[in-house]
Amino acid sequence: MQSNAYTLIFTSITTIILGFLLSFVSTSLKETQEINEEIDIMKNILYSLEFSEKDGSWTEEEVKKIFDSSVIQKVVSVDGEVIENLTPSEIPTDKIETQLPLYIKIVNNSIDGYAIPISGKGLWSTLYGYFALENDGSTVKGIRFYKHGETPGLGGEVEKDWFTNNFVGKRITDMNGRLVSIQSIKGQVDTSSPNAYHQVDGISGATMTTKGLNEFLMNDLKKYDSFFQKVRTESKG
Amino acid sequence: MSLLNSKSRQILKDPLMQDNPITLQVLGICSALAVTVKMDTAIVMSIAVIFVLTMSNTVVSIFRNMIPSRVRIIFALLVISSLVTLTDQYLKAYMYDMSKQLNVFLALIITNCIVLGRAEAFAMKEGPWRSFLDGLGNALGYGIILVAVSAFREFFGSGSLMGYQIISQEMYASGYQDNGLIAFPPGAFIILGLIIWVQRTIGKIEEE
Repeated sequence: MQSNAYTLIFTSITTIILGFLLSFVSTSLKETQEINEEIDIMKNILYSLEFSEKDGSWTEEEVKKIFDSSVIQKVVSVDGEVIENLTPSEIPTDKIETQLPLYIKIVNNSIDGYAIPISGKGLWSTLYGYFALENDGSTVKGIRFYKHGETPGLGGEVEKDWFTNNFVGKRITDMNGRLVSIQSIKGQVDTSSPNAYHQVDGISGATMTTKGLNEFLMNDLKKYDSFFQKVRTESKG
Repeated sequence: MSLLNSKSRQILKDPLMQDNPITLQVLGICSALAVTVKMDTAIVMSIAVIFVLTMSNTVVSIFRNMIPSRVRIIFALLVISSLVTLTDQYLKAYMYDMSKQLNVFLALIITNCIVLGRAEAFAMKEGPWRSFLDGLGNALGYGIILVAVSAFREFFGSGSLMGYQIISQEMYASGYQDNGLIAFPPGAFIILGLIIWVQRTIGKIEEE
């Protein structure tokens, strides 16, 4: 049996060496990882706006090219005004609640859809994603999650196509144009119910994740509601 | 002198069939169920385990006479978790999509019983070269089963292999359907059970 002092010294040295090694690797790879994350976010904005990968998967350059050519980045205020000469990455951190990023999909020089960032608490973690509306400001175009720490197979299913595809074509407003958002319900949606337009099938075993999703989706849509109200009035008139 | 004498060859070969960590020792089942829906994730996972297991075995073996016996498990865990973190960071930098698909399961290699089991049962007693072979053998044994299970699951669950569609559109049009159960974790259990059954029958392995 070795002495206590030996044990202590041995473990300390090991910890220091391994800790040093890990922090070195982590810092040297950080830049590449951050670029990957950025590209991934761009990709998810594109997915939510119904861009689809034609053959195989996009390369980094393709993502950037499509993003630059067909997506306009804007910032809107909570009052629904577009703030000129400001892009989402330039929003000051103290104005994050009042100045909101908006990604507009352009097809043949006209607006095809709007994507907004959504985020909020699920069960274990904060979920991050993008939610996109058609140019009528009411019909859902798509929803995507790019980062979460929910249980794989349960809450983690929010990122799967079977779940996100259900959102497409649903409406966030009722007959009077009031915001009702989309609710993920327990079990399957009763298609004969008048509420079916605002509901999607829930995930079994993920009650808390979907409950969180319902809440933060409503909250995020509320922030943008003045803007989308304008879009809705314009698209009718 | 050959590169591998008979003892070394046995160390490398046994875990592939005779003493396979998954099918015979029934270790590392969690990840075998979780990452085997598609072949490409299973292959990357196997490579990660091969790296971690051979390295951890070698490192533990090199220091085996210096490690204070009271903290040997902690030391082995330190080495294993550092190696897993390295792999995780590497994948995040160079194979981002893959690291997203593997998400927590890559980090869970740390708790994979095979890795700590080999460090404690083998590398603490044997020299670095043998430990390296033992780690390689066990990781390959793990990988073979993972890839086999994932091949079954991807073929019957989504009609493809390595992402290439094998079952043609005409088959689907004429009424063929993918087996949804196989794509879910219970499907992995069933396939793993069948593999264990077949292997024990062919290998004439009796439950002791």
